[in-house]
Amino acid sequence: MTATTRPGFKARSDAALANSTLKTAIDRTAERKRAAALARFAEYEAARSRGSAIKDHVIANLDHYLEMFERNATASGAKVHWAATEAEACDIVIRLCREAGAKRVTRSKSMLGEEIGLPDALGSAGIERVETDLAEHIIQLAGEHPSHIIWPAMHRTREQVAELFNADHKPPPADDEAASMVQSARHVLREKFLSAGVGISGANFLIADTGATCTVTNEGNAELTTTPPRLHIVTAGIEKLVPSTSHAMALLRLLVRAATGSELTQYTTFHCGPKRPGDADGPQEMHIVLVDNGRSEMIANEFRDMLRCIRCGACMNHCVVYRQIGGHAYGGTYPGPMGAVLTPVFDGLAPSRDLPFACTMNGRCAEVCPVEIPLPMLLRSWRGRSWRAGLESEPMRTGLVAWAGLARRPSLYRMASGIGVRALRLLGRSGWIGSLPFAAGWTRHRDLPSPTGGTFMERYKAERGKRPEDRR
Amino acid sequence: MTDASRPRVGLFVTCLVDAMRPEIGFAAIRLLEDAGCDVEVPTRQTCCGQPAYNSGDDVSTAAVARQVIAAFEPFDHLIVPSGSCAGTIQHGYPALLASDAEWGPRAARLAEKTHEIISYLVDIRNYTPGRLRLEGSATYHDSCAGLRELGIHDQPRRLLATVDSLEMRPLDGENVCCGFGGMFCVKYPAISNAIVDEKADAVERSGADMLLAGDLGCLMNMAGKLNRRGSKVRCFHTIEILAGGGDGPAIGEKS
Amino acid sequence: MRTRDSILSAIRAGLGGSRNDPAAIAAEAAELLAAPETIRPPLVAATRVDAFCEKVEALGVTLDRIGSIGEVPASVRRYLEDQRLSAEIAVESAALFRDLDWGEIRPRLAVAPDALAAVGLARHGIAESGSLVIHSCKETRILLALLPLHHIVVLRAANIVSHLEDYAALLVGHETSPRNAVLITGPSGTTDIEGSYVRGAHGPGFVHVILVVDA
Ligand code: SF4
Repeated sequence: MTATTRPGFKARSDAALANSTLKTAIDRTAERKRAAALARFAEYEAARSRGSAIKDHVIANLDHYLEMFERNATASGAKVHWAATEAEACDIVIRLCREAGAKRVTRSKSMLGEEIGLPDALGSAGIERVETDLAEHIIQLAGEHPSHIIWPAMHRTREQVAELFNADHKPPPADDEAASMVQSARHVLREKFLSAGVGISGANFLIADTGATCTVTNEGNAELTTTPPRLHIVTAGIEKLVPSTSHAMALLRLLVRAATGSELTQYTTFHCGPKRPGDADGPQEMHIVLVDNGRSEMIANEFRDMLRCIRCGACMNHCVVYRQIGGHAYGGTYPGPMGAVLTPVFDGLAPSRDLPFACTMNGRCAEVCPVEIPLPMLLRSWRGRSWRAGLESEPMRTGLVAWAGLARRPSLYRMASGIGVRALRLLGRSGWIGSLPFAAGWTRHRDLPSPTGGTFMERYKAERGKRPEDRR
Repeated sequence: MTDASRPRVGLFVTCLVDAMRPEIGFAAIRLLEDAGCDVEVPTRQTCCGQPAYNSGDDVSTAAVARQVIAAFEPFDHLIVPSGSCAGTIQHGYPALLASDAEWGPRAARLAEKTHEIISYLVDIRNYTPGRLRLEGSATYHDSCAGLRELGIHDQPRRLLATVDSLEMRPLDGENVCCGFGGMFCVKYPAISNAIVDEKADAVERSGADMLLAGDLGCLMNMAGKLNRRGSKVRCFHTIEILAGGGDGPAIGEKS
Repeated sequence: MRTRDSILSAIRAGLGGSRNDPAAIAAEAAELLAAPETIRPPLVAATRVDAFCEKVEALGVTLDRIGSIGEVPASVRRYLEDQRLSAEIAVESAALFRDLDWGEIRPRLAVAPDALAAVGLARHGIAESGSLVIHSCKETRILLALLPLHHIVVLRAANIVSHLEDYAALLVGHETSPRNAVLITGPSGTTDIEGSYVRGAHGPGFVHVILVVDA
């Protein structure tokens, strides 16, 4: 997935804004989530700083924890693989599937899997992929990518889902109520769970001192994906480490509350190695693919804070821009504020430079982030890099340089603003300016109030002349 | 340093107030004087540098920042009638100049004594306006920078509550961004419009006659949208109301 | 190995080259768990058992308190009758269940893909969250907790721990970790379609706890 092959951000966001069904879908989910008020507790703020400190501690000792995890996972009987890039990660997974002779794999939702392009890679390798998370099942039928990291099918209305299920499910769902459609998916996917050769999951946490991986789901699809097949493959980013299960618990409280407003996911599972001798069920082999894909570089630069991200989705739920354009317009694996920080890391800044700019810097995302990531500051860093790399348009650059030149010469600035104000007043005699060619972005959608008179500086100077006591 | 009970404050007018609505600047002077301050307006000021800052042009921003620091460091306080300019001076400048041995500490010192006007009046000057009366109803929008970078929330509400006959009405999503975002609104006009349209819906739903906020940029955005929709809601900067300007022309009304 | 080493050395370079002493790292990690009561919600009731019960019921889980293990079959029967479910159900092969008099219930070890109900045993309950904990082992099939529509779970009150950390403290090092430890917190559900909540997505739509308070 490269951003360059797709239409630009502006075209994508315009299309999203013109799509009223998309807005309906986003609003319906958003309304219901607002109703499920955040499960905060009195100690939440302290828990939040502790959670951030845990992640910072892990990142500051990441090499140590990776080795510790590898040691313990290996001792539990799992096999640990390392992948520097998304291509390497996919190659490892596909080789493992082929070696196992698997024709069908089940997959439990993992954003890392999306990030490395695993769904497409499996497809090109001719391996049948069955997405088991309900939302992923929906977008697989639609041939799409997730538009939200917690609700991947947030962009689809109930009616649109019904259309997809009616075409694919045999028998089709009884009606287009959510309950009937969930029932239908349960039925259709049940048999596939039990006949897959490989089950692939992600990990919300990698527990260094046990070598276990942790998944959280509300549906129970992770357990059904990872238990019956002969092979369980985990793909996980190297930043997912935590020192121990207790540390994972401290973060779980934050993750789930920030993601869905509940206190804990219905299924929180620690997977530690393959089936043990005598175990009643479980996979024969467990493989864990540790994926770098740009993360080790982030440790060294100003984006290190982003490695704390626990992928809760709160920043996009509360983002005014996301609420209007949805996830697909961002054009990367991860949408919303966290996606605007991460996509330039994965795709490069040039094709994705709109993302850090398409933000009002209102700061709500940082306020709701459970691990205190200063998202607006990180977006600002990208803006700085974009400016220094000369990626801004020529008129923009010259305009800004000219403005900055004026701003540093107060008397010249005063003259220029005086002229500007008089010109605007001529255009806006009624008090409002309805159309202004060089500010069309403004006046296409709203009126511009006309300046009320001379500039403050002019008027102040005139008044001060009359009030010498002010000069003191 | 002047007598501590009568601080000497430098008013940072902001470029938008300077050009578009000087009344806000004069309201600021009136309130600050009423609150026992000696107010001066240094002439070596233009803008806080946000257009460059938000565009990633850190070099130009730093140059503007140095100019602001030099102009305002003689004063006891820098007071500004805008949360977003105050935020830039308080948080942006020190971050931007952190590695500059000379200007870093000077930026930090200025940040210390920079205040958004309403929080200054309430938190530092313990100010309550004299008898004020204004018939009608108003609703208040929390501008983002003031709310999140500076923690301004209760102060304007407390001062507005002292105005006789003014009924304050709740605003749905009062803490949700209006879609202005400085350059954002002209770079991504369609997205900005979708956001401000929802804001205008909420303002109209509140049923208030007036919309108040503490940042002229946001106010121009919301007022401009409301006017385009044909709404009769009148928009003012909070300090215009507190300085007794509620009977005068609102944003966009002919004087 | 090459990829592994290059990732690790990139990380070390990014961290500035110097490596921390493992003992110092461990001390710092332990420090991050200090004063757990300051970073978590208190229990919703005075005792662990009461808090647990309040939590599971808030999650939509039904609950039957009984006085001894011997009463389990009768409690199961009551539930099956209430729900009009067949008495032919899967029952976990737990030693605790083996000597019970199941009466007309015909326990089966295998759980069918479309099983309506199954009886399992939870190792622990967690009072903070109302979670039930199951561990994979010789006697416990993980699928038994996932496949049926009704999951009937037997839990001894004495095995209820207070908070998530109290359970986590039992899993230190891979030697003490089962292959699978599953925390079940309420029935399976989804909000994937327009955010509306639907029970029984893939796992059980109904969870029924039989709480054995045998002191
Ligand atoms: S950046 Fe913060 S709020 Fe956004 S997904 Fe990551 S952890 Fe959640």
